[in-house]
Amino acid sequence: MAYKVIEGLYYSKDDEWAKVDGDIVTVGITDYAQDKLGDIVYLEEVEKGKKVKAGEVFTTIESVKAASDIFSPVSGEVVEIHDEVFKDPSIINKDPYGEGWMVKIKMENPDELKNLMDAKQYSEYRKE
Amino acid sequence: MRYIPNTKEQKEEMLKEIGASSVEDLLKDIPASARVKGKLNLPSPLSEEEVKEKIYNISKKNLDFFFYKPLVGAGAYRHTVPEAVKAIISREEFYTSYTPYQPEISQGNLQSMFEYQTHISRLTGMDVVVPSIYDGASATAEAALMALRLTHKNKVIVSQLIHPHYRETLNTYVEPHDTKVVEIPYKNGLTDIEKLKDSIDNETAAVIIQSPNFFGGIEDIEKISKIAHESGAIMVQVIAESMSLGLLKQPAKMDVDIVAGEAQSFGMDINFGGPFNGYLCSKMKFIRQIPGRIAGETVDKNGNRGFVMTFRAREQDIRREKATSNICSNHALNIVAGNAYLSLVGKQGLKKIAEYNVKAAHYLRSKLLESGKFEQIDYPFFNEFILKTDNKDSLKEKLIKNNFIPPLDLSLFYPELEGFMLFCTTEIFSKDDIDSIAQIIGG
Amino acid sequence: MKLIYEKSVKGRGGFSLKEDNFPYKDISSLIPNYALSEEEKALPEVSEVDVIRHFTKLSKLNYGLDDGMYPLGSCTMKYNPKINEKLASLDNFVYAHPFTDQRYVQGSLQIMYELSEMLSEITGMDKFSLMPAAGAHGELTGVLIIRKFFKDKGEKRSKILIPDSAHGTNPASSAMAGFKVVEVPSNERGGIDIEKLNELMDEDTAGLMLTNPNTVGLFDENIEKIAEIVHSKGGLLYYDGANLNALLGIVRPGDTGFDVVHLNLHKTFSTPHGGGGPGAGAVGVKRELKEFLPSPIVGMSNGEYIFEYPTKSIGRVRAFYTNFPVIVKAYVWIMSLGSDGLREVAETSIINANYILKKLKRYYKPAYDRTCMHECVLTGREYKEFGVKTLDIAKRIMDYGFHPPTIYFPHFQPYAEETIMIEPTESESKETIDSFIETMIKISEEAKTNPELLKEAPHNTPVGRLDEVRAVRNPKLVFKGDNDK
Repeated sequence: MAYKVIEGLYYSKDDEWAKVDGDIVTVGITDYAQDKLGDIVYLEEVEKGKKVKAGEVFTTIESVKAASDIFSPVSGEVVEIHDEVFKDPSIINKDPYGEGWMVKIKMENPDELKNLMDAKQYSEYRKE
Repeated sequence: MRYIPNTKEQKEEMLKEIGASSVEDLLKDIPASARVKGKLNLPSPLSEEEVKEKIYNISKKNLDFFFYKPLVGAGAYRHTVPEAVKAIISREEFYTSYTPYQPEISQGNLQSMFEYQTHISRLTGMDVVVPSIYDGASATAEAALMALRLTHKNKVIVSQLIHPHYRETLNTYVEPHDTKVVEIPYKNGLTDIEKLKDSIDNETAAVIIQSPNFFGGIEDIEKISKIAHESGAIMVQVIAESMSLGLLKQPAKMDVDIVAGEAQSFGMDINFGGPFNGYLCSKMKFIRQIPGRIAGETVDKNGNRGFVMTFRAREQDIRREKATSNICSNHALNIVAGNAYLSLVGKQGLKKIAEYNVKAAHYLRSKLLESGKFEQIDYPFFNEFILKTDNKDSLKEKLIKNNFIPPLDLSLFYPELEGFMLFCTTEIFSKDDIDSIAQIIGG
Repeated sequence: MKLIYEKSVKGRGGFSLKEDNFPYKDISSLIPNYALSEEEKALPEVSEVDVIRHFTKLSKLNYGLDDGMYPLGSCTMKYNPKINEKLASLDNFVYAHPFTDQRYVQGSLQIMYELSEMLSEITGMDKFSLMPAAGAHGELTGVLIIRKFFKDKGEKRSKILIPDSAHGTNPASSAMAGFKVVEVPSNERGGIDIEKLNELMDEDTAGLMLTNPNTVGLFDENIEKIAEIVHSKGGLLYYDGANLNALLGIVRPGDTGFDVVHLNLHKTFSTPHGGGGPGAGAVGVKRELKEFLPSPIVGMSNGEYIFEYPTKSIGRVRAFYTNFPVIVKAYVWIMSLGSDGLREVAETSIINANYILKKLKRYYKPAYDRTCMHECVLTGREYKEFGVKTLDIAKRIMDYGFHPPTIYFPHFQPYAEETIMIEPTESESKETIDSFIETMIKISEEAKTNPELLKEAPHNTPVGRLDEVRAVRNPKLVFKGDNDK
């Protein structure tokens, strides 16, 4: 099955995507991840101002039959929370790359992006 | 063997289909050095008649306990268990069935869970009810762990009047997590609130108090809740004698955050100490941190009401090392027993039975004090109380001789209380019984 | 079906109580105001007749083991003998209070002692505690024993190794016991990857938790090497006894290097599942670990049965002593079978499982195509292309009158995906097994020719497929209506 992968985004091996705009990085989970989880029912609260580190857990996502840690693709500070998605996480299933964005992080170290995959690499990685 | 249907011939047929000449072929992956040499050294098998005789004879080495009414409770209460409850839990669909992971063929278990959750919710006033943890002791321990997770603090305050077995269990469960457990002493049969105030601080995750307490005393939970909340601690009420809920205020009304209860009084025989049935209750906001199976209402694809296990992502099969607890099998059949019991006694019955318990205990106490042979401590109590005697051995002897199990020798758990006995009377005692008892030990 | 609350009629009751002759008029003279409830608690009001009818109806919505097979892998749903039920219900056991003096409960203590001895013989261990209330409870107890063992030696070990095929309770119990969980991968034979184990085992690791045969139903032929690797670095080997049914009389875990063992009496030893419990999780240890067992255990002294208090005990994991009636049932079962009987149990369960594997592997590709023990793991992978998930296969099985096997467990890449774990046990006859096989084959055809039938299944059950998403999104955990509605 071919999962949707968007050009121009960065991808982590834990199925997060990162959209970079200057030093603000928008983060969400990929189509592959939302499909594997099934109907998403819960996203654990994240506080604005929270300090995150690349590769470390910053929240948890839950579906009826699974739970997953969400890892931050970059280090920095959470500057915006997408309230709608935390209230109704089913949005992530419907539109994982658009309305399903979760947080925006002010990135400390752009070099960290080198550790992420691009769309082509991620497609290969999650090919089934 | 009557439990193994396949005959020698059938097994040979099956082996042939498999392509094996004997069952040994199927065991070839097992290294020879690992194999049992010869046979296990076990007694020769007994026929049904023989094993029946054997066990009946072993049971005769116990007292004929039905005829010995116990003046002891201490976490195991002999209440009337209606025969209707026993008939219900001996239905094979309840006792031989599996965990309701396939809800479509388990609606009996799941609806029963939902009904029982409702009963406990109405008794405690709490939003979330986990209907089965193993017992009150492990429920208390899980409540402590839950509070530690919720607050990210590492200190719990525990009353010395929590059942000693419950406290020990709590200590075992929190020990691996570098938790500081502070015990609050008692004063006049209740937790010493002044000492509690001295011990609590902003590092306290939970204040854990049992009411009615181990001495039967009724604590002022509302007052203690306030103290806990002022320091940002979670208030946990432990309930070992759930019959008290027939009469006493809902924990929710006293601002309790978590209830760790033992439901044995609701339709379970004493059975030498188990299996009973623990329950955990909490406010809705804590639901993702509460351990144990929960039933929830939903609909099927045709819009019919049905029940499923829900909030499963808390559990070990999904979360593994991040689960709220490792609990898998619980004491599910006792949920059916508890549900049947509470349905039978109902709104009027539970209250009347609880009232009877209170009156019987107070009556026994007053008769014993009349004899002048006991020293008293005054505190409000439910169906248990403590009195001091200077001749506990003679008291125990006289009672056994007259077919009563003696009260608990409190010095076993509280060495400073030499001579004190923990008495309990439930609705199995008539007024005449109590008059006799008073006569026997009061003289 | 209506809830009991919806059958409530004001004024009804199903209880019986002695006459209250006590000289107290008002309960408020005995209970202080701060404690008395101001309202009546709104339990239902129904008669005994109503209750019996209600629960009888409820029971008929359940499938039980006495109705038919439960081929659930690793659950060992075997027949629950009725003589066990009877003997566990004798009055002298049922009415015994735990705080009665030891001399009056010699019968109960004898059963506990003798069962412990028999379990030691069956497993090759030295001493058992019957305290844990369930398997996972036994795991926690066992891992706490391991923890205390190292603490007592003055050694700090922070990790426990657990195979990727392990049951979720293993890592959950280890985490509860304060350990960090490190996963060991399985190899292409279905056993532990020995090289990886060697790499991971070190002096900061307390030990390895292993189920053998494992959750893919395979006996790990490297068990002796595994024990050597773990012991050589001073670690302990823990046996998860969930799958002991395959080994009775054939292999004793204690002989193959295990130091701590837990058993599920409601699996191997025939005690009923009760809809999820109560079971019991006996824990056995080698003699070096005896002193750490939970306290008390039952011993014998001068012909009398007594409670003993291990000197370095981990403490208690519950109130009182054991799930007593469960213990009696296990005891009676062992006494009814004897060593030959136990051996027959193991052999028959292995034959039954391999027969199913042989007959179904053409239709459901096995996770590992080799001789299994008492359970086999097939997969539903090839039906994905028809849009059919393993879940759909399981739901369709119910339409044929069987409880589905375990699905989606074990789950590890790349071998164990879309798994269907089947354990028939020794209690199922060839006819039942053939009927189950026929059903599975029929469904495999339906998956290709009529996948909608599976996706909409079950069709013949009291309720259809239930919306589990809705149950979490709009939680309804109690009945909020008034009684009589």
